[in-house]
Amino acid sequence: MSASAIVALPLLGAILPPLFARAGRTPALLAALAPSVVALLLLWGQAASVFSGVPEEVRVPWVPALGLEWALRIDGLGFFFASLILAIGILIFIYSRGYLAGNEPIGTFYAYLLLFQGAMLGVVLADNLLLLPVFWELTSLSSFLLIGFWCHLPDGRRGARLALAITGAGGLALLAGLILLGEVAGTYRLSELAARQELILASPLAPAILTLILLGAFTKSAQFPFHFWLPHAMAAPTPVSAYLHSATMVKAGLYLLARVWPVFGQTDAWVVWVTGIGAATMLLGATIALFKDDLKALLAYSTVSHLGLVTMLLGLGTPTAVFAAMLHVLMHATFKAALFMNTGIVDHETGLRDLRRLSGLAKVMPLTAGLGTLAALSMAGVPPLNGFVSKEAMLVEVLAARWGGGWPLWGLVGLAAILSAAYAFRYFSALFFGPLRLPEGRIPHDPPALLWGPPLVLVVAVVVLGLWPSLAEPLLAAASAAAVGAHAPWPELALWHGFGAPLVVSAVAFVIGAAMVWHYRALSGRVLAWALPFDGRRAFFSAQEWLVRGAHRLIARVHSGVLGRYVLLLAVVSLAALALGWGMGEGWRPQRAPTPMNGLGLIFAGVGLAAIGLVVRWHHKRLRAVLLTGAVGLVVSLAFLHASAPDLALTQISVEAVTTVLLLLMLFFLPQHDTEPVAKPRGAAAASILIGSVVGLLAWVMMRNDGPNLADYFWSRSVSEGGGSNVVNVILVDFRGYDTFGEITVLGIAALVIYALLQGMQEGVAREHLHAWRFPFALSPTRHPLPFAVTARVMLPFLLMAVFYIFFRGHNAPGGGFIAALLLALAFLIQYMASGLSWTMHRMRLDAHVWIGTGLLVAGATGMAAMGLGAPFLRSAHGEVHIPGIGPVPLASAMGFDLGVLLTVFGAVTLALVQLAHLGQLAGFLPSRTPMDPARPKPSEKEG
Amino acid sequence: MADMLIAALLLVGAFFGLVGSWGLVRLPQAMQRLHAPTKATTLGVGGVLLASIAYFGWVRAEWSVHELLITLFLFLTAPLSALMLARAWLHRERERVHAALPRPAASGVDWGTFQPPPEESGSDGAEPRP
Repeated sequence: MSASAIVALPLLGAILPPLFARAGRTPALLAALAPSVVALLLLWGQAASVFSGVPEEVRVPWVPALGLEWALRIDGLGFFFASLILAIGILIFIYSRGYLAGNEPIGTFYAYLLLFQGAMLGVVLADNLLLLPVFWELTSLSSFLLIGFWCHLPDGRRGARLALAITGAGGLALLAGLILLGEVAGTYRLSELAARQELILASPLAPAILTLILLGAFTKSAQFPFHFWLPHAMAAPTPVSAYLHSATMVKAGLYLLARVWPVFGQTDAWVVWVTGIGAATMLLGATIALFKDDLKALLAYSTVSHLGLVTMLLGLGTPTAVFAAMLHVLMHATFKAALFMNTGIVDHETGLRDLRRLSGLAKVMPLTAGLGTLAALSMAGVPPLNGFVSKEAMLVEVLAARWGGGWPLWGLVGLAAILSAAYAFRYFSALFFGPLRLPEGRIPHDPPALLWGPPLVLVVAVVVLGLWPSLAEPLLAAASAAAVGAHAPWPELALWHGFGAPLVVSAVAFVIGAAMVWHYRALSGRVLAWALPFDGRRAFFSAQEWLVRGAHRLIARVHSGVLGRYVLLLAVVSLAALALGWGMGEGWRPQRAPTPMNGLGLIFAGVGLAAIGLVVRWHHKRLRAVLLTGAVGLVVSLAFLHASAPDLALTQISVEAVTTVLLLLMLFFLPQHDTEPVAKPRGAAAASILIGSVVGLLAWVMMRNDGPNLADYFWSRSVSEGGGSNVVNVILVDFRGYDTFGEITVLGIAALVIYALLQGMQEGVAREHLHAWRFPFALSPTRHPLPFAVTARVMLPFLLMAVFYIFFRGHNAPGGGFIAALLLALAFLIQYMASGLSWTMHRMRLDAHVWIGTGLLVAGATGMAAMGLGAPFLRSAHGEVHIPGIGPVPLASAMGFDLGVLLTVFGAVTLALVQLAHLGQLAGFLPSRTPMDPARPKPSEKEG
Repeated sequence: MADMLIAALLLVGAFFGLVGSWGLVRLPQAMQRLHAPTKATTLGVGGVLLASIAYFGWVRAEWSVHELLITLFLFLTAPLSALMLARAWLHRERERVHAALPRPAASGVDWGTFQPPPEESGSDGAEPRP
């Protein structure tokens, strides 16, 4: 259980710092520290079970059908990484308190950091192949937020986008790879993969799986050729760079490599690719780092280089190399985080990070200089610091490697060692020693303890782990054993291994590295003239631009803005689907004799057809077209009434009324003249006739069908199971209640989209346009005539009564929430037309948003109430209530759901209406000066 | 007897309905056409409603007030529609017909729809935007 708590604490605790930030920056820090410290204590409470090799596991099924479960497992590897994440996180939190300026939102910053911490803990503790990518993407997202924390800087935004695109794409590849892996292995448990290694490797999919997983790991850990996002992520505040982009997140890829090592770690493809890419990245990163003048860029490329080193070690395919990799992960995290913090201090104090403009800082900030120098020496691998220990171990492993006979790789590593010694020497010698050079007007000095404390802790670790490296042995042995899947004779850690090839390489590297720094100016002039041709960032952005342009071209072709074309496309696709379905069916023959035509039906058909004909004739005259469409709707509702469907008729007629009014309001914003009629609508005519005949044919087929059908089912069960005799309503709120719930949700969303669109029209060019609107004729000063206003107000109670009536009888007689909502909307519309928007809105009190939200909540709560009683979602209960004076009233719990429908539909309609009316106000359609109201506000009050 | 009455009411209703529709088609000017549906047709509908009351009352012995309510609403809404239509017409055709319109006796008083209400006169109510 504590595993879940360890992951959940930072994730949930992310809420705390923003709340505590109101009390001040230190309370925010404490609120951020609390979850991490508790999680770390919980984690270390598991130490005994981890070292005894019996890891704690948590398994809660999540989506069993997919194999997804909330599975966490604290084994040695997870323990090692989780300790690193939490311990460095705590130091980073303290450091951030000193680093961020007083006016920056530190609560938000801590919230992001905690979010990241929780996600990262999830990555390293997850024991499910589908859970891991969830946390993986969460780390990418929180990294995006943190890189872009200074979102006012274009560099921050661009760096954040770049990182998200690269790591996000890698995450997708990883997801694909893990799903394939799970399918091939037959299990989604990470811990069971090792046992099925043969099964997985025998699969023809194995190369694809390996490629996809490596893509995920390499993008995350900034391996060549995806390394370029990492330096640009340095636009983040320095604590973020120290935490995410050197100590933890970028090591998620390494963690993943270690995790799948038992399966793939000894295959040829793995050894070739992982070692090769790792070595290439190591060399490339070290080379670029040497010629960077920006301190953070130098450290970023050095991080790339060290990540390459660990990748290479993981690729070597021997268990001891994995041990060396884990060792270097630990060592690198300590000295690199310390170096980043050190850079942050320099930046904080001098406002600069440029090696060309800073030097000799040891004279003014001795403490900072001391810490920075120690950490940089460790990075160079100088004894007796911890960097030396892990470098020695690495060299030993490379020498023993089977790939490339050891020697070619040995050469590469030697070169990288020289380069990294050189840039590490350059870091401290150019920054802290030599003549004092400073930006003008700044007198830097050692910062407060909040800033030097955390790096001091890390530097102490650097020294201690260098002098007594065996202290870390149990932790690393447990981690390596978990990674490799077996216990192996782990190499013994010691500062002094005696004379040997590794020591020689180190010594040579120091000498040449120092010489390179000595002659740095000559060297850099020569190298920078021959700049590296490949710029990943430029390639990325030009690829991005190319994609955007291609997308625009595609959209221009498909999304032409011609409404008719969309409809045609939709119709053609539906017809094709229909033809397919028809072809797969068993054929059909009419089963029921046609009923004879009657006179009234003929009249309806005739009037409807005539109206449709007129719509076609006058399609370019907007007002007529709208009115005629309304007429068609009225005829249809009469036809429904004639065919004994009063429910449908009622719905149709209220829908017709509301839509006609809304359409007329819309017409107001279109040009007040007619458009040109379509010249030769042959294609459209043919398509319309085809679609119309097919739909007509389908209706005919349906009506000639006989035998058991869904209607019978609903008829027979409406009263007994739904508790209502109005079958239409019972279907809506009971049998297909879930469907209706979805529909009203969509309706609510659609209303919000209308809101967003029309809200956008109230600004910018559209606003200017509306302001410039001129009416074709003068408006009356009395916009809302007295008789109309009075009548409308007299009618309001009657209308509301009708709404209540229609709503309450809905379960057993024609009516229901939807119709009641439309009637209510009509009542509102009438008031709007009679007395103007402001008068009506003044009395509405509740925003349309509130109606929509309340409606959805009420509908959802009704459904949940059934769940609370142990029944499925939306299961309805019904009974009869005796109300004195009225008699027995049948009640169904579905009525609560229907109420939700009513509120949502009403809210959606009024939202659209109110937004249109607001546009009208912008266009000068102001309310009358005489709102004819007894409780009329004083003229000074706002009535607009 | 009841049948005769109901039939007569229906006929009267139908007659006025026909007159209203005929007038809507045949009368030459917009303002004249306004009279046909708002007056004649309203009366026609009234006749049908009375027939309905009579039918349900005498033949089916179910007294109902639905029809009275419908009549009430009709009498409320029909004049209103006429009023709004007439006002809209006045504004659309103002330039053409304003001079020819008859004036109230008091000087300086215009048609209601063209001038601000008395207590607010002098304010710039006629302007679309203040």
